[in-house]
Amino acid sequence: MAASTSAALRAISSSVKLPPTTTASLSQKLSPFKLSNPFLPQNLKLTSSTTRRSFTCKSQSNPSDSPRSTKVQELSVYEMNERDRGSPAYLRLSQKSVNSLGDLVPFSNKVYSGDLQKRLGITAGLCILIQNVPEKKGDRYEAIYSFYFGDYGHIAVQGQYLTYEDTYLAVTGGSGIFEGVYGQVKLQQLIFPFKLFYTFYLKGIPDLPVELLGTPVAPSPAVEPTAAAKACEPGATIVNFTK
Amino acid sequence: PNSSSYNKNPTVFYLVSAKVQELHVYEFNDRDRGSPAYLRLSQKSVNSIGDLVPFSNKIYRGDLQKRLGINAGLCVFIQNIPNLNCDRYEAMYSFYFGDYGHISVQGPYLTSRDTYLAVTGGSGVFEGAYGQVKLHGNLFPFKLFYTFHLKGIQDLPQDLLCTPVAPWPTVEPSAAAKACEPGATIPNFID
Repeated sequence: MAASTSAALRAISSSVKLPPTTTASLSQKLSPFKLSNPFLPQNLKLTSSTTRRSFTCKSQSNPSDSPRSTKVQELSVYEMNERDRGSPAYLRLSQKSVNSLGDLVPFSNKVYSGDLQKRLGITAGLCILIQNVPEKKGDRYEAIYSFYFGDYGHIAVQGQYLTYEDTYLAVTGGSGIFEGVYGQVKLQQLIFPFKLFYTFYLKGIPDLPVELLGTPVAPSPAVEPTAAAKACEPGATIVNFTK
Repeated sequence: PNSSSYNKNPTVFYLVSAKVQELHVYEFNDRDRGSPAYLRLSQKSVNSIGDLVPFSNKIYRGDLQKRLGINAGLCVFIQNIPNLNCDRYEAMYSFYFGDYGHISVQGPYLTSRDTYLAVTGGSGVFEGAYGQVKLHGNLFPFKLFYTFHLKGIQDLPQDLLCTPVAPWPTVEPSAAAKACEPGATIPNFID
């Protein structure tokens, strides 16, 4: 029985994609169905599974209708402030001498691939100063911004930005190849406020293009993009990188 | 549910519905809501980073027969784009559909250009919504046309669905919709 079950499993996996193990972070969009589903044999039982699996059905030929993948893809980028975009614009609307609630900080910086070989585009958005944290010699912001990847589209994020430690922000959505994306992104500050390193943990999207997935340069304060990437030379940018 | 409750049911499979539903919306600025409020906080004579633009306009169903409600949010000026002769804003706002709920979006707004914004979530019939929305901007600054491509939600009510009017600069809502007459609005539309 076990042998035929595993044979059935292999037969199914050739026609149905089984993405890698998912985490237990399923949303209420999922609707359970019984094992009498026509795509599975009646006697199929997966005994090894302690986690949920979601799978696509081959009959859904329209790619935009395919179920939301739970496979996690990592994407690393560097954000660099080269001080040539008028950013950040610190609006001291609180009118206090220390950073205070009321201050707003619109910003826009350049984005490079994690391997620092290519200019990808820009970030753009707003930091809302929440409080100064004297014992940490830093500030808490609530940040709402997007990363722009030229013709590929954009990723929208929201969450906390602490100038004194690493944080995770929510990936709230995207467009283009990032349409339907969800997950989170880790922010590591290398030099405040000029160099930051991000690791995106992205779900819900098709496989990312290889161009974006080079081995990242290990983050440190001294890292710099290649001269070609900084100069936006052909071959050192993505197509129609966002300026 | 937490992760331990999932582990108790290893043999149950889940399928996510990713059916795409299209929703068409027109945004009109009749200049009667004090919007937009261009806050020239950069204190420069040309639009510059630092400028913030809170706004709120009226929205109508894509066939221009019903008033749906309003949108509301913020545009953050980012840069002028010289070779496109337009401005880039980072936009974060919501569309309000009366008793049906709301949709929140975030992404690029390039004046008089088409862009795609992310659908970041929603409430009511839009709870769990994800996907993207196309903003058709060349009727700027007083008229915009949106096509939402929504996933992750139940079937939208007929009240919101329509065959849209094509976005020409001369389009206007029906007189009944403009006047918010009964039958030309959705239930408890936000004004």
